[in-house]
Amino acid sequence: MTTRRFVVQPRGLAPLRVTLLVPLLSVLAALLVGALFLALTGNSPWSVYSKMVDTAFGSSRGVSETLISATPLILTGVAAAVAFKMLVWNIGGEGQLLFGAISAAGVGIWLGDGTPAALAMPAVILAGAAGGAVWASFAAVPRVYLGTNEIITTLMLNFIALNLMNYLVLGSFSPWRDPESTQFPQGRPIPEGARIPEFFNRLDYGIFVAVGVAILAWVLIVRTRWGFEVRVVGDSAEAARYSGIKVPRKILGVFLFSGAAAGLAGSLLVAGILGKMDPRSLDLGLGFTGIIVAALARLNPLAVIPVAVLMGALNNAGPALQSIGVPSATVRMLQGAILVFAVAGEFFIANRVVRPEKLVATTPATGDAAA
Amino acid sequence: MNDSVLILTIFAAIGLGTPLVFATVGEILTERSGVLNLGVQGMMLVGAVAGFWATFKTGNVFLGVIAAIVAGAAISLIHGFSSVTLRVSQIVSGLALTIFGTGLSEFIGRAGTPALVGSPSRATFSPILEGGIADWPIVGPLIFGHDVLVYLSWLVVAGASYYLFHTKLGLSLRAVGEDPASADAAGVNVTRYRYAHVVLGGALSGLGGAYFSLVLVPSWQDDLIGGAGWIAIALVIVASWRPWRALFAAYLFGAAGRVNFTLQTLEISAPSNLLAMIPFVLAIVAMLVLTSGKRARLLGAPAALGVPYAREQR
Amino acid sequence: MTLRSESPALDLRGISKAFYGVKANDDVDFELRQGEVHALLGENGAGKSTLCSIIAGLYRPDTGTMHVYGEPAHFRSPKDAFAAGIGMVYQHFRLVNNLTVAENMVLGNADLRMRYSDVDIERQTHEIGNRYGLPVDPQARIWQLSVGEQQRVEILKQLQRNARILILDEPTAVLTPQESDQLFRTVRQMADEGRAVILVSHKLHEIKQVSDRVTVLRHGRRVGEPVATADATPRELAAMMVGHDLVLPTRDPNEHLGDVVLSIQDLRVRNDRGLEAVRGVSLDVRRGEIVGIAGVAGNGQRELAYAIAGLRRPVAGTIALDGVDITGTSVTSRIARGIGYVPQNRLGMGLAPGLTTEENLGLKAYRKPPFSRGPFLVPKTFKDVGAQLIDEYDIRGVRPGLPIRLLSGGNLQKALIAREVTQQHSVLVARSPTRGLDVGATGAVRNLLLRERDGGVGVLLISEDLDELLALSDRLLVLFEGRIVGELTSDEADPARLGLLMAGHVEETA
Repeated sequence: MTTRRFVVQPRGLAPLRVTLLVPLLSVLAALLVGALFLALTGNSPWSVYSKMVDTAFGSSRGVSETLISATPLILTGVAAAVAFKMLVWNIGGEGQLLFGAISAAGVGIWLGDGTPAALAMPAVILAGAAGGAVWASFAAVPRVYLGTNEIITTLMLNFIALNLMNYLVLGSFSPWRDPESTQFPQGRPIPEGARIPEFFNRLDYGIFVAVGVAILAWVLIVRTRWGFEVRVVGDSAEAARYSGIKVPRKILGVFLFSGAAAGLAGSLLVAGILGKMDPRSLDLGLGFTGIIVAALARLNPLAVIPVAVLMGALNNAGPALQSIGVPSATVRMLQGAILVFAVAGEFFIANRVVRPEKLVATTPATGDAAA
Repeated sequence: MNDSVLILTIFAAIGLGTPLVFATVGEILTERSGVLNLGVQGMMLVGAVAGFWATFKTGNVFLGVIAAIVAGAAISLIHGFSSVTLRVSQIVSGLALTIFGTGLSEFIGRAGTPALVGSPSRATFSPILEGGIADWPIVGPLIFGHDVLVYLSWLVVAGASYYLFHTKLGLSLRAVGEDPASADAAGVNVTRYRYAHVVLGGALSGLGGAYFSLVLVPSWQDDLIGGAGWIAIALVIVASWRPWRALFAAYLFGAAGRVNFTLQTLEISAPSNLLAMIPFVLAIVAMLVLTSGKRARLLGAPAALGVPYAREQR
Repeated sequence: MTLRSESPALDLRGISKAFYGVKANDDVDFELRQGEVHALLGENGAGKSTLCSIIAGLYRPDTGTMHVYGEPAHFRSPKDAFAAGIGMVYQHFRLVNNLTVAENMVLGNADLRMRYSDVDIERQTHEIGNRYGLPVDPQARIWQLSVGEQQRVEILKQLQRNARILILDEPTAVLTPQESDQLFRTVRQMADEGRAVILVSHKLHEIKQVSDRVTVLRHGRRVGEPVATADATPRELAAMMVGHDLVLPTRDPNEHLGDVVLSIQDLRVRNDRGLEAVRGVSLDVRRGEIVGIAGVAGNGQRELAYAIAGLRRPVAGTIALDGVDITGTSVTSRIARGIGYVPQNRLGMGLAPGLTTEENLGLKAYRKPPFSRGPFLVPKTFKDVGAQLIDEYDIRGVRPGLPIRLLSGGNLQKALIAREVTQQHSVLVARSPTRGLDVGATGAVRNLLLRERDGGVGVLLISEDLDELLALSDRLLVLFEGRIVGELTSDEADPARLGLLMAGHVEETA
């Protein structure tokens, strides 16, 4: 008897508890793997994890710092979620964030001290979004009009933006560099008037901009005609062309929106917590962490918000680990492991693994014949 | 003549190009099986740190190389499982591998006592075939006087090329990457081929990473390899999935990465940050030229690249 | 393994196999004797291909046993099936397009040496082709071959592996009637040599022509015992296949022939490779008639349909709708002007697989109220209109929030046609609208097309299925290599004449 022990059955639509449980289990599994590595290197996983929770959420200051770390991640998370959902592989959130920061700082410095805050602040913030979109367009335009593989171009643009930022501050005497910093080059501060005010410890109002963009992304995709067309394109470009949707324009729009969101993350950092374009504080892999956020949020812009807070908490806790002799890279390893498990978890959201006798019909077997 | 700028540049290009050769040929073999692995960067970093760690512990650089190969192969299994068995998006799975590998390498580099970061290199590879023959005009410095891994990389290229185009396994591999359903129906085990070549790619990436930590740098620090892993993925396309072309493309990018050095030799000064962009700009230009429009089809990408195969899917 | 002459070539007992929770095979018994041609008859979706794929080792049954020449067999992959002497020619050929004929011949063959030379394998291919009177060019790449030639490679591949049991899955689906006759001679010859052949088909005349016995499948189950072909009439077989006497709807003469609604002049269209695939086609479609376009796949049907739908700009020629030239207009404008299009690729082109049924039903009307207001969608309209169409067109299996791809083929097609015909329209282009559907769904789709015609719409039916064309068309045009090589009225048309035209034999005009 050749009876099979397990059968993989694709689900039509996973029940809500599965879609919630799988990401949660991904995080738990990653923590277990992390515990293994910590134990192997002679650290106590328990004390490391409790230190992390304490740093991220144990005090009002901890919470505000966690939210500060979450702000750019909401935006890079939305950037990745929106793009990936449409099968636009924008891996360039990193570069778009950096170029957004360059643009924002540039506009802030160019406007100078005299500009009223009501003008300077929006100008700096929007400059970041525009910069991110411009940087994305270098990959988006060739992708849309020539079919150029965007995975590689967006990746390469990350390194170019990074080197450009370093050049502007560390490698030259550009307007972005603080002329007073000679020994250790620093970014030139933007005018105080262009800075976003703080309201909860060091947390500034930028977080509301980030949350607003996440909500906007959701509304655009789910509730508008444009979003409907974009969803058709993401599902099947053939079906989109067939129903008269201009596919190139939609892909371009999604790509630029994604770039703008990542660029906005850069300008909120410059106009918010940093106050200048500081290469050391910007080169943190926020774009890549955004991909983790998006994957764990299952590409849903609204789910990006809580997931970004979780990742922000990890980022916030990293440096504190050094005080107990554990490398802050522990956090990066954990985040990577979370993504690995979240990706694998997609299989269990898409499929049921069951014994053959428990197979259930997902489609009526006699739908045709009875018609 | 042998110390002309051109010869010196090529010699330097071979050095910087060698890790790219390993990683690119590895990724070619993986992609020929129809699996896109964007985890090269992560696998190289894990290989680099593992190679440095083993050499640091044992003082034996050959053990370091073996550790790098094993580590690269081991971590590639994550992608193999996700993309072949679970059939999730290969793009996202590869990115996950890179992000995890990067974090893991940083963790390993700092978690032990003493930390690998800042530790001195205990052994490296030295050039072989030096002396008389290496002084032959032009060919001498180009062919002789490299370290043993450079010669190994040439063997890998030749072997991979012969394997792909002149052996039964290579024929089956190409069929799996082109049309897994047909290969399967012809009796080729698609799953086994895909796993094997993901792991082979991981091993070669690990080896490529170790070339940084054992020969080029040689030491360990965070993000030691720059963007070499990403460049390797671009090189696969530049090389149109052919090992010999990968060799020359890797050296071209090696030269691009060494423009700094060349300009120094010529006593020209230029900002290093801008020079560091050159390989990445070159990669974009290559993509624009090669993968745009109708030319993309002539490149000969495996037709089933990135597409999961499920036999019983209808 | 000792060959006992009394044991059957194949003996399957109690085979079950489910996909997506639906049983494709349910407790099926099947026996194949040595030296016979055994037809496996059943309509689309009856489980024939699944059963064959199980025999060929591609699918593993959920339950059941199999014996090959009396020995128990547990195949884990096609490789195991080869070793047992079983070879299968799939309906969709399993050849690697970018490899050469010779490379495909040896692919996966256990006898191939680890290091081989191209010259050797090309010589072997040449020899085996000659031995069986099926010549092929060993150096050609598969994509360069015609469909008939590709099938030849598939059969040779199995012969080279000494397959003693050969499975042919719907082998004539892509052939002209004349090519089919040639194939059947080869099949007969193979059986006479002592091989056992399973012939999968849903065409009764083929089964009568070539097979010794017939096993009928319906809804995944075997119907009765296998019967000797000679003892069964086509009518009896049809009844076994369908379950009851079911007559498909056919055309009555059209009574309200109106004005020309679609007029095409000297149309030239390129294919994906940049070659001209439609090479000077002119035709008219009147309101209230169904014009059938017959032809073997790949003779320009796709490009012709694309050009009419606005998906591909023609190189030359004009397309006019109600006398207005629309050659240069966009897809959107053609939708608005009233061209409905039912593409061959219903899931992926006609329907977006991952969207819900309601969203798909709104896929052409969403731009205007009541589906959208300003830039925003109106979800309630999608829901209400969706519910109404689902009810009116009897689309089954729809559940809220589920992607449409989970529907069966027949229900997908009903949804697609429902959407197309509820747009304001005067022309309907339909490509192979009943392909892959079972008898019930085929009848429903045919009725919808006839209702369109009677409602005064001009229908252009582009199909490779002669039965479908003959049953529905008021006029038939034959497309061969991008040209119209013949026009027949419904009275003049018969399969033999059409077959000749489809193969490029242009009739002498008297």
